[in-house]
Amino acid sequence: MGFLLECPNCGKRDVYEFRFGGEAHRRPRVNSSSEEWMKYVYMRENVAGVQQEWWFHRLGCHKWFLAIRDTRDNSVMRTFWMGEELV
Amino acid sequence: MEGARPTNSEERDGRSKEPSPSELLDRSKMLNFEFNGRRMSAFEGDTVASALYASGVRIFSRSFKYHRPRGLLCVSGRCPNCLMSVDGVPNVKACTERVRAGMKVKSQNCWPSLEHDIFSVIDKIGRFLPVGFYYKTFINPPIEWSRVEWIIRRLTGLGDIEEEIASATGKGPKDGRSIISSSFEHLNLQADVAVIGGGPCGIFAALEAGNAGARVVLVDDQPALGGHLRYSGETLSIDVATGEGAYSGLKSSAVASTLEKAVRDRPNMTVLDNSTAFGIYESNLIGIVRGNSEIRLRAEQLVFATGAHEFPSVFQNNDLPEVFLGRGMQRLINLYGVIPGKRAVVVSNNDSGLGVARTLMDAGVKLEAYIDSRKAVGAPETLAEIEDAKVQTFLGWAVKEARGSKHVSSIVICEVDNEGELVHGTERVVSCDLVSLSTGFETEAWLLNQTGSRTIYDELLREFIPRELKPTVYVCGDLTGIHDLNIAIMQGKVAGLSAAANLPAMARSTELKVEYQRKSLETYSRLVSQYEGKYREGMKHTRGPEVLVVEYPGSDKMRKRFVCVCEDVVAKDISLATFEGFDDIETLKRYSTVTMGPCQGKMCSMPSLHLCSRVTGRSIAQTGRTVSRPPFVPVAMGALAGAELHPVKLTGIHYKHIELGARIMDMGEWKRPHVYTSVEEEYKAVRESVGVIDVSTLGRLDVKGRDAGKLLDFVYTHIFSTLKVGKSRYGVICDDAGIVLDDGTVTRLSETHYFITTTTGNVEFVEEWLVWWATALRLDAYITNVTAGLGAVNVAGPKARDLLRKLTTVDLSSGAFPYMNSAEGEVAGVPCILLRIGFVGETGWEIHFPAEFGEYFWDTLLEAGKEFGVKPFGVETQRVLRLEKKHVIVGQDTDALSNPFEADMAWTVKFEKEDFVGKAALVAAEKKEPERMLVGFVMKDSMVAHDGDQVFSQDGSRHIGFVTSSRFSPKVGRCVGMALVSPEYYKEGSLIRVKSDDALNGAEVTLAPFYDPEGKRLRA
Ligand SMILES: [Zn+2]
Repeated sequence: MGFLLECPNCGKRDVYEFRFGGEAHRRPRVNSSSEEWMKYVYMRENVAGVQQEWWFHRLGCHKWFLAIRDTRDNSVMRTFWMGEELV
Repeated sequence: MEGARPTNSEERDGRSKEPSPSELLDRSKMLNFEFNGRRMSAFEGDTVASALYASGVRIFSRSFKYHRPRGLLCVSGRCPNCLMSVDGVPNVKACTERVRAGMKVKSQNCWPSLEHDIFSVIDKIGRFLPVGFYYKTFINPPIEWSRVEWIIRRLTGLGDIEEEIASATGKGPKDGRSIISSSFEHLNLQADVAVIGGGPCGIFAALEAGNAGARVVLVDDQPALGGHLRYSGETLSIDVATGEGAYSGLKSSAVASTLEKAVRDRPNMTVLDNSTAFGIYESNLIGIVRGNSEIRLRAEQLVFATGAHEFPSVFQNNDLPEVFLGRGMQRLINLYGVIPGKRAVVVSNNDSGLGVARTLMDAGVKLEAYIDSRKAVGAPETLAEIEDAKVQTFLGWAVKEARGSKHVSSIVICEVDNEGELVHGTERVVSCDLVSLSTGFETEAWLLNQTGSRTIYDELLREFIPRELKPTVYVCGDLTGIHDLNIAIMQGKVAGLSAAANLPAMARSTELKVEYQRKSLETYSRLVSQYEGKYREGMKHTRGPEVLVVEYPGSDKMRKRFVCVCEDVVAKDISLATFEGFDDIETLKRYSTVTMGPCQGKMCSMPSLHLCSRVTGRSIAQTGRTVSRPPFVPVAMGALAGAELHPVKLTGIHYKHIELGARIMDMGEWKRPHVYTSVEEEYKAVRESVGVIDVSTLGRLDVKGRDAGKLLDFVYTHIFSTLKVGKSRYGVICDDAGIVLDDGTVTRLSETHYFITTTTGNVEFVEEWLVWWATALRLDAYITNVTAGLGAVNVAGPKARDLLRKLTTVDLSSGAFPYMNSAEGEVAGVPCILLRIGFVGETGWEIHFPAEFGEYFWDTLLEAGKEFGVKPFGVETQRVLRLEKKHVIVGQDTDALSNPFEADMAWTVKFEKEDFVGKAALVAAEKKEPERMLVGFVMKDSMVAHDGDQVFSQDGSRHIGFVTSSRFSPKVGRCVGMALVSPEYYKEGSLIRVKSDDALNGAEVTLAPFYDPEGKRLRA
């Protein structure tokens, strides 16, 4: 049983049409410290609250977009393309 | 079968002589079905329960713990008493299941039979199964558990799981017959407004929302809409103010039919009858079960018209068969024409009991007494009618106990004092064969609660009523704790109009209509609050003791006062548990299992609350109701799981493989030929002449755009922006942890156009991965998955060139078309992309072509190759051929921890690139000694090794790794393979041992390919 997610291209669809791409984080520079890389590769915030995350419209337009979602009740505040808002 | 035979013919009450207008039966059509192996008859429209009851069956089940006989109670699918197995499906509610000709019904939870249940002896030794017995009894010692487990399992099961599995898989029971014809399925629906509950208020909500232009889905769990109008049998008196005054003076069942037709006739209305909403999920998704189907309904607005159900009060032996809930009794009489008994008693604490008394009298049942714990009633004229019929009425009295063994034969009543306790010494016995309880309503707010909307206990109405509704949620009718038809109609209209008014403008109709609807909404809202005020005033005048749980001196010792009929929890259990400290309603629920049975608390929640409140001295509001989670009603696992569907992918050449007699294997969702004739024969053809293999399962991606090269440089460890047009290169994809994700070839078709192959089954992932990086890096690169559109075959072997020359004008000579080059051209008249790659280590071409030419292309190749002795080869032969070349299979020879260094593919990593996915991790990994290395090995003598065998040091003392791939190599003449081992063994000639079939067999490490290590043959 899933909630609705609005693909910026296709509109509101059942969440099962999408693949969850995880929390959106800025990728470290190649010469960043190993701690920073460790954090980027292995650590997740896992917040109980609002987060920015990636979604892929697997059964639709095959595009990645970003969503602001509250993990507590799955309410989605906003969905948008990369570049419309800073990651 | 004992339970089906009345003890004497006098007890066969049967049906009313004349069919009543409210009946759902077609008495002209008879159906036959089987009950516990015995032939039974029913009318078209009967439920299993109504047909059985009319035939004299009184005991419908045995209780969960004490195996007491249980009869019909709610007759509406709310209680557990009539759960039966129907056509192999367990736990079917007989009271809502329609009879179908030939259906096979079996009783559950009884052994050997309903009438003579061996375990009913438990009832006599009930003190051995105290509350919390699950937790107390079996903690230790464990040996005891093993001794009693079988008996407890036999005791406590509901239904036979074997039958459930059989029915879900459609395989039928042990005798091999398939008795389930329909299968489980899923449906999706959308609506502007969903109305849950098809009673009068739900219907008016649906009609008003529909008038406003909304697409409405109305969900009701009964076979016919109209709610209690269907069975109450009353003549309606409806206020003109409701706008429905025209229905006044008509029979309620006739009005129900008219309203049902009105709803069904609307084009923008979908009616889901016989459907139960079992859960509300995120974004207003409603889970609905209808027979074997699960329906997922998504709605913008939700109207809850779920009503209220009755529950039995708690007195000694209140669970005896033929103790009914009032509305259940009315259903049996008015919907199914059943005459339920001869001499009835009505026990009540609210005005609905008066209506039940009337129904019984109208049906010709002798009413022995009307008992009401209140001193005043809200419908004195009805009471007067009852008294006029010479029925004894007892106001201010309540029932103390029911008597009888398998059937009720009399009840004992007592006067009630102002505290609601029975007055000792006032006992009177009333003999009867039927008891009807109208002892309280509980609002059906569980679904509503799942939206996050709250309910609070209303001290005046004595029910939990909705408060703090979430946006898009509306309520009406009995659910609001008010049981008045006029108010329900207006509440329904308000709910429907409000829901429509809150829809996005596009779903609504003209301005004029919108204005009219706004005015109606205002008017009805005002009227509702006015009428509600009056209703509440009236409640104050008739207020009296509820007596939900009878208490009297010594009653705490009475152990047959059943609170929960599902789990056999008695009043004493609740008191005991509360004394033991489980005085929070949620812990009480888990400890005593009250409210946790199949009825999910519908029958026991209010009485247990009253008990808990009494023992703790807290008010009902303070005690609070337990929270119920979905599913709100039991749902077959099969309905949730849906049909057993396994997607299968077939290549365009698949049926040719079948024709050739190939053994087919699963590779993810794909079907591939494992072997056609024998590995030896196929191997020989490839190494000595020519072989062809269908490689259409390879993933193919098309990458185009100005930044296509840049993207590939970033995603692969190798460099592709410098690749010349017409060249191919092997590439490895890692993640940012440096772990190998996929490999394949990348071919440059033009400056801005690349053609990629991925491993079978991984293409969706690689596509997502490439699109993600293109998006995140904001590159001008567009990825298209062309896998399904392209077929592919690999033609390999010393005679491959000779074969292909017959079919193409493309120059295939090594000078014009060297190793790792590509060309676009026609083969056999089909437009192709030809890649000259290694694959099995021979001269060969991987040819991609439009999938629709598959069979033609395949046949043409085999035909042209006949003179060279061409053979098709399967996956198994391919593995032997590729293993001899030490080609790594990602996922077989690598795992979730392998980086390219461990996989002996350091040559694919180009650190000169400024950045790429995995660079930081690989730079760090390169500096460290690897933890394991992938090496080749050759077994000593004729010893064999298998994929996954463990590897040890030469002296056998140390475990050093495991075999990833191993096959017999015809070239070497021995078993060869690859293994991930400790890095010190990454040395030509190292001696290791492979543990196979409990023997430590010797092997020697080889770093070069086993076959043609210089790669001369594939360049030839
Ligand atoms: Zn989309």
